[in-house]
Order: sequence, then C-alpha cells, then structure tokens
Amino acid sequence: MSIDTTGFVSLLRREVLRFVRRPRNTFVPPFITNVLYFSVFGVILGERIDQIAGVPYILFILPGLVVLGAISNAFENASFTIFHGRWNRYIEEVLTSPLSYRTMVSAYVLAAAIRGAIVGVLIALIGAFFTSVGVARPLYLVAFAVVITLLFAGFGVAGGLWADDFDDLTMLNQFILRPLVFFGGVFYSLNELPATVQQVSLLNPMIYMVNGVRFGFLGVSEVDPNASLAVLGTLTLGIIVADIALFRRGYGLTD
Amino acid sequence: MEAAIEIRDLRKSYGDVQALDGVDLTVPEGSFFGLLGPNGAGKTTFINILVGLVRKTGGEARVFGHGVEDDYREARDHIGLAPQEFNVDRFFPIREVLEHKAGYHGVPPGEAGDRADEVLKRVGIYDKRDTRFDWLSGGMKRRFMLARALITDPDLLILDEPTAGVDVQLRHELWETIVDLNQQGTTILLTTHYIEEAERLCDEVAILDSGRVVDVASPEELMDRGTDDIAVELRHAPTAVPDFTAVDERVESVDLDGTRLVVTAHQGGLVAPEVVRCLDEQGHEIVDLEIQRTSLEEVFVEMTRQGEGRATAEVSQ
Repeated sequence: MSIDTTGFVSLLRREVLRFVRRPRNTFVPPFITNVLYFSVFGVILGERIDQIAGVPYILFILPGLVVLGAISNAFENASFTIFHGRWNRYIEEVLTSPLSYRTMVSAYVLAAAIRGAIVGVLIALIGAFFTSVGVARPLYLVAFAVVITLLFAGFGVAGGLWADDFDDLTMLNQFILRPLVFFGGVFYSLNELPATVQQVSLLNPMIYMVNGVRFGFLGVSEVDPNASLAVLGTLTLGIIVADIALFRRGYGLTD
Repeated sequence: MEAAIEIRDLRKSYGDVQALDGVDLTVPEGSFFGLLGPNGAGKTTFINILVGLVRKTGGEARVFGHGVEDDYREARDHIGLAPQEFNVDRFFPIREVLEHKAGYHGVPPGEAGDRADEVLKRVGIYDKRDTRFDWLSGGMKRRFMLARALITDPDLLILDEPTAGVDVQLRHELWETIVDLNQQGTTILLTTHYIEEAERLCDEVAILDSGRVVDVASPEELMDRGTDDIAVELRHAPTAVPDFTAVDERVESVDLDGTRLVVTAHQGGLVAPEVVRCLDEQGHEIVDLEIQRTSLEEVFVEMTRQGEGRATAEVSQ
C-alpha cells in the first residue's frame, strides 16, 4: 500500500474510533432527543394533526428528523475534530506527516459522514419503533444520505478551520444550522405556507435535502428529487474542493 | 555528502515583526547540529517552517534536497519532530497514538504496532503503553515526545528543547539515546537553553539572534573565541605587573593582586606555557597555576549581547 492509502486508512480509523468509543457523547444524545421528538411531535401531537402529503404526521416528520440528526452529527464531528485538534495542537501530528492535503481532508470528511449516517440509521430505527415505515426508493435514499452527510461533513471541516473559539462552533450549530433545518420543511409541508413564503423557502438548501430523503422513504416529494440530487452533489464536491484548498493554504492551521 | 538541511535567505515576517531575517544555514547529513539563541531568536519558527507548521515569507528551505513547500511530502517523510510544546492526541492511549502517527507515514498496521512497542521500550515507558498522555508524569511526557519522533524512523530528528524541565538523571538518559541515534547515522537538529547540552553533544552550533545567524562553528571553535583566565600564584609579589601583551598577541589583559596574577587570553591552554616561561625568565617562582576555560555559555551570552547592541543601534537609526 502507498503512503496515501495507509495514511488515509490510519486517519480514517483514528477518526472513527474517536466517536465510536464515546457513545455517551456521540450516539446517546441523538437517541434520547429523537425518542422525545417522536413521542411528543409524532405520537402526542401527531394524533391531533391530519395527514400531510397523504401520510400520517409521524411518518411525514420521520425523514426530516433523520436529516436533522445526520447532518448535525456530520457537521459537529468534522468541526469538533478539526477545531479541537487545532486547540490542543494535536492536529500537528497529521499536518507534519507526508499525507497529501487531499488525503487529510478526505479522511476527516468521510469519518464525519460515517457518523452522520450511523445517527441517521439510528433515528430511522427509533421511528420504526413508533410507526410502520418502509423505504419506497432505496437508491434515492442512499444517494441522498451519502450526499448530505458528505456535504455537512465538508461544511464542518471549513467551520472547524474558521472557528477561533468553542463559542464559534456553538454559534454555527445553533444559530445557522438548526434554524435552517427547522425552516426546511421537517415539521410542515411547503404547500401549507403562503405562496411568497414558499418561494423564499426554496432558497433554503434544507428543503431539498429533507424532500430528497422523504422521497427515498415515502416516494413523495414537493421538489424534483433528481434536480435536488444534482444541486446537492455539486455543492458537496464544491465544499470538499474548498476544504482541500483551505488545508493547502494552511488556513487556520499554519502561521 | 548531501545536506540534511539547506537554507538560503530564509525569511519570515509577522506583520512588522521579522522573525527570520535572511537565514543561511547548512546542516550536513549525519551531524549533530545545535541551534542556540535567546527567547524570540527565531529557533522555533525556523523548525516549524521545516515541518510545515509555518509558511515562509521568502527564501529557500530544503530537507534532503526536497523543498519544504513544493515537495512537502518527501521533506516531511524524512523528519521526526519532538516539539517543545506538548501536542499529543489526548483521546487515545500512547501506544495507539504512536500507531496512528506511524500510519500517517505509510507504515502498515502490524509493523506500526511493533515499532510502537520498540520505541516505548527504548525510551523506557513501555509499561505505560495503555495510558493516555495526560496521565503521564512530566518526565514521561518528555520521553514520549522523543518516542513519537522516532516512530517513523526519521533521517532527520528535530528536537526543540527536548530536556526542558526534566531532572538531571532523565536528561542524561535522553542524551544517551540521542547520541546513540546520531552514531547510527541520524542527523540531529537540537535547540536548547542548556548551553552545556550543546557543548557536550553538538558537532557544530549556529547562534541565532533576532532572526539572524550570528555565527556557525563547532563548540570548541566558539570557545576559542572567548577568553580564558590563566591564574598564577607566585611565591613573592612582583613589584610591577609583567607585560605579556607584547610577548603573545593572544593575551588580552593582565591583573595583579598581591601574589596572584591573572592573565586573560584567547586559547589560554596554548598561552600558559609562554606565560610560565616568561615568569621563569623574570625570576618569579610559581607556586600554583590554574587555567579557567571560558564556557560556551559565556561566549553565547557575549555574542547575543552584541546582537542586542546591534539591534538597538538599528532601531535608533
């Protein structure tokens, strides 16, 4: 194996082991949060809400919750590992190695995407405990899951390089990511919004992710899934290329 | 022989501050090279440019012929670094940290484990292999920094203050390990505040001050540039101070205090026989003679003090 292959596997393994060995920080919180979401919004409130887009409310929100969990965890993993590594300077173990910048970024992004995907599957399983759910379009589901976790892992790497403090990470997650997701059609249908707000909502990239994953689970979508996939795929490629350029420039990494 | 490090007109500025101001330096392969300088002289900046943690503003830096920015992968593959500040992965036991580091350098997993055991044994902390870095004592942390630098079997070992804050016994143990590595062919670049360390270990040292190389020479050559004291105890006090400056141009001054005569001279060991001969010719009886060699530390302080003067003069211009 070349330095790049061995190095990539080593860094990927290190990154995956970091979150796998700390389930109390990585998997237990989304588990508890989503049990609460499904209990309160799905069961208690859901029974008082009519069907949306032809499906029961609990089923309607399930794909959105999967997206919310998957992208939050992908983002958090990548941003934390980069920022914490900078903060405690152990990222220098990687930076002073002969790995190419492309290999470094690929390993960080893929590991974070894996965590996002695991959390997404966990949430889907919690949903299946509360309601009967199938997968109408498995290929679309997998494609969207791959693209959105990679996309937010890519954003996480950039966020981790940009942050100067732990507060900056919290700000990215709470004030940017979470509002976009909540206004991204997780808990309501676009058709229920006034026409103008509907048009504005289409500027929110979360709409395409939530609808894409919803199409994978339920076979229904309020936007064209192929167009969504194409746009999201391009964005993902763009952010990963940008991450590599930032590493090459040493942004946030070198003096 | 190929140079392990080849530096030409290396510059680094942080805004108006010139951390490195046109450094030229060659570190021969296989040498034990010391980099000395006061705090803020630019030593760590210099090292960080070699390993890619600082971007140079200008000039050239090559490690075994590879440019540290254009051929950064080849350059970094040659280097093992033990930095002054602890920068170790806190999430994993130290053996795993070593395995990861070896992996980043392309060492396959099985071999990485074997190497980790080997270097942990070499620095004497194998029994702590399953402990995380934070739980090691200060001395063990220093040992681990050396182990991590060695895990990739580097051709160039860079040690930035490797014995800072360690006790005398550990310092000697670390010296022994480093000397052993150098004898096996590893080039060593050492920065240290313990001048005795450089005096004892290095083939050659560069004095860095205010981002510039003030001098490059062997510790012996540098010490020769300082002045030694030849202290002579005479049976009877002379009536006048003997004038040795005319006899040997290496003599700087002569002080007389009763029967005690102190001759300050460059290369005191070589001048002493001449002093004895002259005193003998003048009829003085010598009771005792002692040569106090100048230390590298004294030469270092003198050289960097001159640098301070120069810097002050430049600022005032």
